[in-house]
Amino acid sequence: MAILNITLHGASADYPAQVPFDIDEADLKRLAVEVVRAGEVPGLYDARVTASAFENYVVDRISTNDGGQRLYLRPKVPFGV
Amino acid sequence: MLCRNLPAELAFVDFDRVEGKNLLSQAYVKQSVGRNKALALALQLRNFHGVKAQAFSVRLAETNAEEICRSADLLVDCFDNIASRQLLSAWARDKGKPLVHAGLSADGSFGIVRWDERFSPDAEDEEGQATCEGGEHLPFIGALAATVARTIQDWLETGEQRDSFVTLKTVTVT
Repeated sequence: MAILNITLHGASADYPAQVPFDIDEADLKRLAVEVVRAGEVPGLYDARVTASAFENYVVDRISTNDGGQRLYLRPKVPFGV
Repeated sequence: MLCRNLPAELAFVDFDRVEGKNLLSQAYVKQSVGRNKALALALQLRNFHGVKAQAFSVRLAETNAEEICRSADLLVDCFDNIASRQLLSAWARDKGKPLVHAGLSADGSFGIVRWDERFSPDAEDEEGQATCEGGEHLPFIGALAATVARTIQDWLETGEQRDSFVTLKTVTVT
């Protein structure tokens, strides 16, 4: 199981419940829409977030140094600094 | 520019030239318009801050990566295209060189700083996608650049390879 972090509207937060590390990307995006609409992600509540809000997002699946697992649902970052 | 005080010799790689619009969102000054970007940065560092830096005014390619990168102790990827990011990653992994990446979202609301071991480059949604070149994104781009500089500073001091998210609200170590 993994901690899911979601970025939306210029903010980023962890979803308090754990999700399967190998969850399908489409399922993860559907889950994210539901939990954001339901206000289950602290600081990211948006009752009107659209079903396609995360369509162009990417999912990072990262195993941390302390043995944990994290999922990051985030906007693409193709541009330089 | 924010790395100018580090105990390190800086080198810039960029084939592109400074355009007027770059002044709105990048570190260049008016006198640099028309110059090669790598040379312009090196000149600005020397003229304004008395810091020496090397400039490679070429496009990074498989044929020159070894020559450009071999003497580096740390590589920093601020490219704006997936091909160059992939090329640099492949070279760094092959040679065992540490590499840290910085990336910015198209709408200028999100950025990441991530070490190569955990980084996968993102493609544009469509080729030639508009980037945040307008001046309104400068403060956020500055925050992301500062996070890159701080990440490098900490790596130099402690060897720690710290990843970060930069949002409109905060910088979060991930």
